[in-house]
Amino acid sequence: MTSKQNIDDSPIDFAEQIIRDVKNSKEDGVLKCVQCGMCTSTCPAARHSDYNPRDIIERVLDGDVSILDDDLIWNCFYCYTCHSVCPVGNSVCEVNQILKQIAISNEKGYDKLYEYMGFADSYFTAAIGAIPEIFFDDIDRDVPGWRDFRNSLGEIREELELDPPLMPSKEVIDEVSKILTITGFKAKIEKIRASQEVEK
Amino acid sequence: MKSIPDKDILLFRSCLVSVEYPGVEASTKFVFDKLGIDYAISDKQTCCTGLGHYSDVFDQVDTSAIGARNFRIAKDLNRPNLVMMCATCYAINKKSVKLLNKKDDLRDHINRLFEDNDLEHLKYEKDDLKPTENIFHVVDILYNKISEIPDHIKYDLSEYKIASHHGCHYCKVHYEDTIAGFRDPNIIDELIEACGCKTIGWYDHKRATCGTGFRQRYSNPDLSFTATADKMNALCDEEVEIVVHLCPNCHIQFDRYQPLISKREGREFKAIHLNIAQFIAIAMGGDFDKVIGVKAHTTPIDSVIKELKEVSK
Repeated sequence: MTSKQNIDDSPIDFAEQIIRDVKNSKEDGVLKCVQCGMCTSTCPAARHSDYNPRDIIERVLDGDVSILDDDLIWNCFYCYTCHSVCPVGNSVCEVNQILKQIAISNEKGYDKLYEYMGFADSYFTAAIGAIPEIFFDDIDRDVPGWRDFRNSLGEIREELELDPPLMPSKEVIDEVSKILTITGFKAKIEKIRASQEVEK
Repeated sequence: MKSIPDKDILLFRSCLVSVEYPGVEASTKFVFDKLGIDYAISDKQTCCTGLGHYSDVFDQVDTSAIGARNFRIAKDLNRPNLVMMCATCYAINKKSVKLLNKKDDLRDHINRLFEDNDLEHLKYEKDDLKPTENIFHVVDILYNKISEIPDHIKYDLSEYKIASHHGCHYCKVHYEDTIAGFRDPNIIDELIEACGCKTIGWYDHKRATCGTGFRQRYSNPDLSFTATADKMNALCDEEVEIVVHLCPNCHIQFDRYQPLISKREGREFKAIHLNIAQFIAIAMGGDFDKVIGVKAHTTPIDSVIKELKEVSK
């Protein structure tokens, strides 16, 4: 009864929205947070930036939806270290992912997704999650010989006698494209792209 | 320990392995063949969506719908045991199986979309696959055969200083299924020991992320490379020569970006980076070009492994 009383007294609609989210695998773990800070003490983003997973859960339990606009939520590495050490079975890493999906469904964070549209495009053209070409110049600057390596990938794969080939059949690509159209993914991607290209 | 199959396996192709370190696939096949593992690869299987999923572009419905299609392919081939070369494919697929079994609304929603769009053949029925019984990483399959590995070892790599880096998405996401520890991860260390070598064991930041952080590497490189430097500095302090991985994304972060992080830190990091399947394949006599795929590596493998010494019988 005590815990029910506490739940009724707290502004937990926001936390309940997260608990109901399809991605949540920790049931009501978020409500069990005791603010011990184990997540923050082991978090690589907290070590090197102002990102603070303990604070994220505090704000969620306070019903502070302004967190959806906070750039810091985009610093999570998705390394699941917090998830693996939480003594009450909460997962800030999952909560963070859900917060971002809520933000995106409210048309927030589109600028953060825009550079990653290549991950979507490659599914419709090759049914594969290729590194977006928009990053190729950065990779070539930072990784010695990377573009030469990529240009010789076919020969390297041939020497390794890898089969089947990289590119799936048209039938496979069409089926995957159809799935990503009926889930609403394609429409979402077009909307994100249109919003950013208008701003430019 | 959980029950681990050695047959009816669909070896799940990985986008990063395919285009960055194809030698990981060739080495996995080489080692699986030596150990008598029954596996096949399908040209119909597609990526797990992991890179896009963890860049927040794909939501759970998109990812689980693509997962359902791949799970149907495995079932239709009578190869219900999915075995992943990439830690992210492993975590993504295990989560999709868990959610599709447990969350009726998600499963019904995806199945209805399939039914309404002439894709009935892809429908996923509850418990078609089981997360613990059917979803594995290559290291699980190798660990199940750990007592047989020494029988196939041709070369002695014990003179090198070796450390392991355990991918977060193998160890920490579905930690209830992780073999040989997730707080003090050791599955790679134990597999290396089966090759007649010793690793350095625990080191500072051993269980920490590689620093990739999906979008962090590209959108937030200072944050990403600073986190990687924690680990590279710790490995350099221990004078490690070979770092052994289980995930192609970690592999990229360490192998491809080691020269850049060396410059940033003002310290020469010289370790080479191998996937555990590549390490075992070298020890079992795999050819450097035809099996290990060394030409795909940024840090040259022969900068450390200059010659191979046969094990004394």
